[in-house]
Amino acid sequence: MSGANDNLHKALLPQGLRDLLPPAAEAEAVAVARLVAALASHGYERVKPPLVEFEDNLLSGAGAAMAPETFRLMDPVSQRMVGLRADMTTQVARIAASRLGHSPRPLRLCYAGQVLRVKGSEVRPERQVGQVGAELIGSADIAADIEAVAVAAEALVGLGIEGLSVDLSLPTLVPAICRAHGIAGTDLETLRAALDHKDSAGVAVSGGKAAPLLQKLLAAAGAASTALPALAKLDLPTEAATERARLVAVAERLAQAVPQLAITIDPVENRGFEYHTGVSFAFFARGMKSELGRGGRYRTGNGDGEDATGFTIYTEAVLEAMPAHKSAPRLFVPVGAGAAAAAFRAQGYVTVAGLAPAKDNAAEAKRLACGFVLTDGKLIEVH
Amino acid sequence: MRGNETLVLALPRGRILGEVTPLLKRAGLEIERAFDDPEARQLRFKTNHEGLEVIRVRSFDVATFVAFGAAQLGVAGNDVLMEFDYPEIYVPLDLNIGRCRLVVAAPKEDVGRDDPARWSHVRIATKYPEVTRRHFAQRGVQAECIVLNGAMELAPTMGLSRQIVDLVATGSTLRANGLVEIEHIADVTSRFIVNRAALKTRTAEMQYWVDRFREAADAA
Repeated sequence: MSGANDNLHKALLPQGLRDLLPPAAEAEAVAVARLVAALASHGYERVKPPLVEFEDNLLSGAGAAMAPETFRLMDPVSQRMVGLRADMTTQVARIAASRLGHSPRPLRLCYAGQVLRVKGSEVRPERQVGQVGAELIGSADIAADIEAVAVAAEALVGLGIEGLSVDLSLPTLVPAICRAHGIAGTDLETLRAALDHKDSAGVAVSGGKAAPLLQKLLAAAGAASTALPALAKLDLPTEAATERARLVAVAERLAQAVPQLAITIDPVENRGFEYHTGVSFAFFARGMKSELGRGGRYRTGNGDGEDATGFTIYTEAVLEAMPAHKSAPRLFVPVGAGAAAAAFRAQGYVTVAGLAPAKDNAAEAKRLACGFVLTDGKLIEVH
Repeated sequence: MRGNETLVLALPRGRILGEVTPLLKRAGLEIERAFDDPEARQLRFKTNHEGLEVIRVRSFDVATFVAFGAAQLGVAGNDVLMEFDYPEIYVPLDLNIGRCRLVVAAPKEDVGRDDPARWSHVRIATKYPEVTRRHFAQRGVQAECIVLNGAMELAPTMGLSRQIVDLVATGSTLRANGLVEIEHIADVTSRFIVNRAALKTRTAEMQYWVDRFREAADAA
C-alpha cells in the first residue's frame, strides 16, 4: 500500500477547513465589518490578540473549558508549549486584567478574528470559525447584563436577521441546588448529562431528593411569559433563590429595553456555559439549525478577578441566517476608457479594466461577469 | 439556508412503529393511509394537522434528522441516543414503549471459561461501537468493535468475534444461536425527542406536541 501523501490531490484541504470564494468571502468580510461597527458604536474598543499564546495562560481560568478543543504545538524559540486559540474571550479577559488593568472601569472591548478547534461537531463540522465579540469588564450591575444582550441583538438585527430570539439561562442555578442537596461526584455527572438533554425520565432516576424540584425546573423552560411565573413558584434553596431573582430582573428589564426581541428562558442550560458565573444567553433565529452567538457573566483570571460579561457571535452561523449578500454592480472598462472610471467607482460601481482591446466589448463584459460596459463615458447595460 | 415552516415528525421504521401507532392516535394525530402500507414508496406523509408532516426512516436516522433540524420532532430509543449523544437533541419524554435492553452476549460455552477481570482487550460485533467502547473503557478494557448492521448473533458462530453487543427483547434470538446474556448495559425504551434550536425558536408549536405526547404516554 502506498503512503497517503503519494496521491494527495492539490486541492484537498484537511477536514473541517475550506476556501471561501467570491462572493462568499466578500459577504463574510462585510458582515464582520458591520458587526464590529455596531459594537464600536456602543463604545466597545477594538483589540487584537495574537493567534498563538502560551498554553498555560491561554487555558487557565475560564480558558480551561476550551482545553480539549485547542491545538498545541511546541514553540521552538521559548521551548514552551503554545496553544492556537479556540476562543477569543479568554484572550480579551487576559488583556483587560494585565495591560489594560489600569484603564478606567467599566472597560468595553471588542474583537473579531478566526479561531481553530481540534474537532468540529456533527452539526457544525467546521474547525476554523470566525468570532466577533465584545466584553464588558468591571461591572456586576444588572445594567451590564442588559447591555450585553441588547448590543448583541442590535448588531444581529442590523444584519437583517429575522426571527431573532434570545434564550436566557442561569448555569449557576443547578449547581446551587445540587450543593444544597449534597449531590456530587459521579452522581452529579450522570444528573448533569440527563439535565443537558432535558431528559426528565433520566432526572427522575439520577436526581435523588432533588429530582422533583429539578423536574419542575425543566418544565419551567420556554417563552418568558410562561416560564418566569413557573420559575417564581418554585421553592428554591436560599443560594439558588438569589440567582433566580437576578435572572427574573434581567428578563423583565430586557423586555422593556428591547421590546421587539423574543425572550425564552431555560433555567437548566449549562453546556458551553461551564465557566459562566451568572445570567447567560444564546441567540437563535427561526429555522436555523444552531445558535448565532452566546455569552454571559463570568469572572476574569482564575475566577478570582473582576466581574465581567460579554458575548461571542459566530460568523458562520450568522452568514447562514442573513439575507443573501448583494455585491456592488460590475462595470467593464474597455482599453482607453479608463479616465471616466474613477467617477463611477466613487458612485459605488466596481470597475473591471480591459487589458487588451476586445473585438466585442459587450461580449467581453458579459464574459467577465460585468452587468455594464463603459461606452463614450456612459453606462450601457449588458444583456 | 432556512428550514421548512412545516414541522416534521420522524418515526422509526420496523419494530417500534406498531407500538407508536396507538400513541399517535391518542395524541390526536392521524397520518394519511399510505403510511400504513409497508410496500409504499412514499417517504413523507401528510397528517390531519396542516403544520405537521411525518417521515419514516431507520431508527438511527431519526436521531440524525432531528439533530440537524431536518425534522424537529422524533421518536427514538435511548440506545440510539446513547450511541450518538448529539447535544442538539433534547429528550423531554419517555414514551415507555419499545421496551428492551442493551446487553453483552457470548456463546454459552464461554461463560466461566476465563476471568473478565483479566481482560485488556475484547473484540465485539455490534451496531453500537461508541456505547460499547465507553462501556468497556469504564473498567479499563479496550473494545475493538466490528460494526455490523444486522444479524449480530451470527458473529460468534462464524468466528467474527467472541462477543456481541445488541438489543434483546425476549432473548429468544440469543438462545436460538447458542448465546447468553453476560452483561447488562442499559434498559431501553423509546423517547420523544426534539431539536434544541426548534424548541427555542418555535416554542409554542413544539411545546404543544410535547404536551400531546406526554398526555398520550400517561394515558397508556
